Amino acid sequence: MNATSQARQGSRLGIAVGLAGVLMLAAACASTPPAPTASLQAAQRAISTAERAEAGRYASEELSEARTRLASADTAVKEQRMTMAEQFAEESRVEAELASAKTANVKAKAVNDDMKRSNGTLIDELQRNSGDKP
Amino acid sequence: MNTINHKGVMLGKTLIATTVAAVLLAACAAAPLMPDGAAEARIKLTQLQSDPNLASRAPLAMKEADFAVRAAEQPQADKDLGAYRVYLADRKVEIARAQAETSLAEDQRGALSAQRENARLDARTREADAARDQAATARAERAEQKVAADRARGEADAAHLAAASSEQQATELQREADAAKGQAATARAEGAEQKVAADHARGEADAAHLATASSERQATELQRQIDVLQARPTDRGLVLTLGDVLFESGRADFRAGATSNLKKLVAFLGRYPDRTVAIEGYTDSVGNEGYNQRLSERRADSVKSYLIGQGISSIRLSASGRGESDPVAGNDSAAGRQQNRRVEVIISNPSAALR
Repeated sequence: MNATSQARQGSRLGIAVGLAGVLMLAAACASTPPAPTASLQAAQRAISTAERAEAGRYASEELSEARTRLASADTAVKEQRMTMAEQFAEESRVEAELASAKTANVKAKAVNDDMKRSNGTLIDELQRNSGDKP
Repeated sequence: MNTINHKGVMLGKTLIATTVAAVLLAACAAAPLMPDGAAEARIKLTQLQSDPNLASRAPLAMKEADFAVRAAEQPQADKDLGAYRVYLADRKVEIARAQAETSLAEDQRGALSAQRENARLDARTREADAARDQAATARAERAEQKVAADRARGEADAAHLAAASSEQQATELQREADAAKGQAATARAEGAEQKVAADHARGEADAAHLATASSERQATELQRQIDVLQARPTDRGLVLTLGDVLFESGRADFRAGATSNLKKLVAFLGRYPDRTVAIEGYTDSVGNEGYNQRLSERRADSVKSYLIGQGISSIRLSASGRGESDPVAGNDSAAGRQQNRRVEVIISNPSAALR
């Protein structure tokens, strides 16, 4: 071994170390992670909650989106693309939560609108009545 | 990741390549752009946070949205990861908005309920007022009607009363009148009876009194008269003897001034009109008996005529001649004969008046 070869060896060692590190990183990244079961279950629960809240009626777009995302997550799981699956699952859950939130909001506003209309009618009637008989 | 993997593989070729890769990596880490949509997410979050009605609501969702937006804003070489974070950020801002709006709606519901209650209260108040007004009006009307009705009833009652009263009064008056009449009649009857009785009693009493008084008085008077007449009571009555002083001897007419005794007799008979008078003429025994008889008759008649002439009813008077009979003294003396020549006036005792 000469100096050059030593230098080359040292260089190679560095490369090896670097490679090892990179490989380790790569291994960590590339190793098939477990299916994001918790996220999937959470998404499913969120969708069920939204369905029970009649989101199909008041926030059908969001609910539909949540279902689509959950289906995508399932597909990703089957393709062993677990990170993607988890992202889809998370997106599905948040979408389902949005569906629930919007449903609640629509319902609350509907109730308020009902009350406003009813109050308006009542007040109109009262004013008319009071107009009839000041 | 896959790209990084590939790059890592490529870096493994040479140190330079590694260095270049490192530089590239560094460049990637420092210069990657903010993922698309992150800015929009931030804008949406800022709008939500600057809405005074919503900013303070749904604090947990707000916090998560804020966190997610910050994560999305991190420059990200991995476009998928960036897009994913932006997606989450956007949805979480939406959730925060929805929850904040729901919270606001729920809060507004309280105000709406209050408004409704106020309206209802107003309605009830107005209805109550209206009802009260109507009731007051109705009450007033009723009161008026009642007043009218009362007045009418009062008038009717008054009329009835008046009628009844007048009837009653009439009846009462009638009854009273009847009663009074009856009482009056009774009283009258009683009064009459009593009066009769009283009168009777009084009469009797008076009579008794009178009788007593009268009899006493009369007796006294009679006695006085009798004394005046110088009459003497006998069984046949008062006997007044008119002496021969009345007549001239053998004559039947009166001597002048001899009528004073006769006047006393007239007064007596006028005072006691119920008494009848028997006039009997007597003579002495001198002369013819027949003559004496006729003479006694003439003298008796003469007295009777005188009394009739003085207003004494002839019915009360009877005259008769008794001649020489029943002498009151002896005819053997002039004084005796003078006593026998007489007219006796016999005044009957009253049968009832003095009883």
